[in-house]
Amino acid sequence: MAHDDEIDCSGMNCPLPVLKTKMKIDGMAAGSTLKVITTDPGSCQDIPAWANRVGHEVVETGEGDGKFWFMVKRGE
Amino acid sequence: MSASFTAEELFQWIEEGRDYVYLDVRGEEDHARFSIEGPSEITLLNIPYYDFMEDPEGAVAQLDPSSTYRTICAKQGSAMFVAEVLGEAGFEDVRWLEGGMTGWGQVLIPKRISTPEGYELWQFNRPGKASCSYGLVHEGQMMVFDPSRNADFYTSFAEAHGVRITHLFETHLQADYVSGGASLAAATGATYHAHDGDFASSTLSYTSVVDGATVSFEGGRGPGVLCTHAPGHTPGSTVYLIDERYMVSGDTVFIVSVGRPDLGKKVVEWAKQLYATLKERICTLPDALMVLPGHYTDWGTEATEDHLIMNDFGTIKALNESIYGLDREEDFIAYIVDNMRDQPEVYNTIRQVNAGLLSPAAEELDTMDLGKNECAASHMAA
Ligand SMILES: [Fe+2]
Repeated sequence: MAHDDEIDCSGMNCPLPVLKTKMKIDGMAAGSTLKVITTDPGSCQDIPAWANRVGHEVVETGEGDGKFWFMVKRGE
Repeated sequence: MSASFTAEELFQWIEEGRDYVYLDVRGEEDHARFSIEGPSEITLLNIPYYDFMEDPEGAVAQLDPSSTYRTICAKQGSAMFVAEVLGEAGFEDVRWLEGGMTGWGQVLIPKRISTPEGYELWQFNRPGKASCSYGLVHEGQMMVFDPSRNADFYTSFAEAHGVRITHLFETHLQADYVSGGASLAAATGATYHAHDGDFASSTLSYTSVVDGATVSFEGGRGPGVLCTHAPGHTPGSTVYLIDERYMVSGDTVFIVSVGRPDLGKKVVEWAKQLYATLKERICTLPDALMVLPGHYTDWGTEATEDHLIMNDFGTIKALNESIYGLDREEDFIAYIVDNMRDQPEVYNTIRQVNAGLLSPAAEELDTMDLGKNECAASHMAA
């Protein structure tokens, strides 16, 4: 799906995927979408749980080739 | 750079009742599913690590700077991160758990059981799983019962005690944790004893347990191990009677409750087997027999003052009057059915791993091997 920006956290372990995602999305406009790519299985729970907690929305997720991806729509 | 602590230290602190506040920084879901516990009550908080990113002041403000914090996460990175945040906020002596909950889930705590002279008996408690394996040591040899996946622990223990692992015993095909039996057998050359009732369709090479046979140490001296087939929890469940004094009871007899016979989706058939086993093979054993179970649920009711998970069979019958007092097969089956609950989905996969039918990657094994057991027929003794 279409997205406004992308961040590749492959090879990074907790807490870096969430930290990098947060820093990136903080600089984006409300309503825009960031694609996050990770390899750490822990991120599958943490990215949605974090997004949910701070008011962003994970609108789509997927996995393949040992990677996970998340479409995170920035909240207001 | 803040200091860390090991899973062994963590257990020791809980055991000593240290006045620390344990701060689990995993998500709420992970925290609810699987957390730390031990022989005494602890103060345990859960604030996800990402709260310390989004609103560090707000997260820190929930904590008391006069307490001493020990942070815990899944692997270790987030616990380290939060320890740094707290350190920068002026908290003193904050430390983080090395290896995280994955490490805690594997740690084994050896405790010696007092025995007559001539041999040593050890309980290896795995607090992250609430399960126990056992070591029987005599003249430079060691038999291990129900080893868990952390094979290095057993080989290091043997080395430190100057003994060779010569025999390995499975009480049954485990569903709730990955067995270390096959890999230890390969590493040590020990004879691997298991019952055909559970292992016939496995790909492992093992020596079939013979009901009523006694296994001895090499040289024939020392305590004997009498194998007693005890079907019910599984068709091949076996209890091992050591020196006529101790029973390694696997998941057949627990201090509180008995092993659930509903894991194989044949609840009535297996419950009938378990009823017959308890009446004909277990209740005929002496009250003074010390029971050494494969699992426990609650430290408070199941551990001795010395934090051993064991009790004598007479006391166990009294504690579980609601089970042992049932004198009709149909009442027993009704009790089992009433207490039935779902089993974790992963149990099916673990059974296949333990039968050598699947060999997932190490990281996948780590994940499936974590979390407290669900092996007892009931949660509460009556
Ligand atoms: Fe079991």
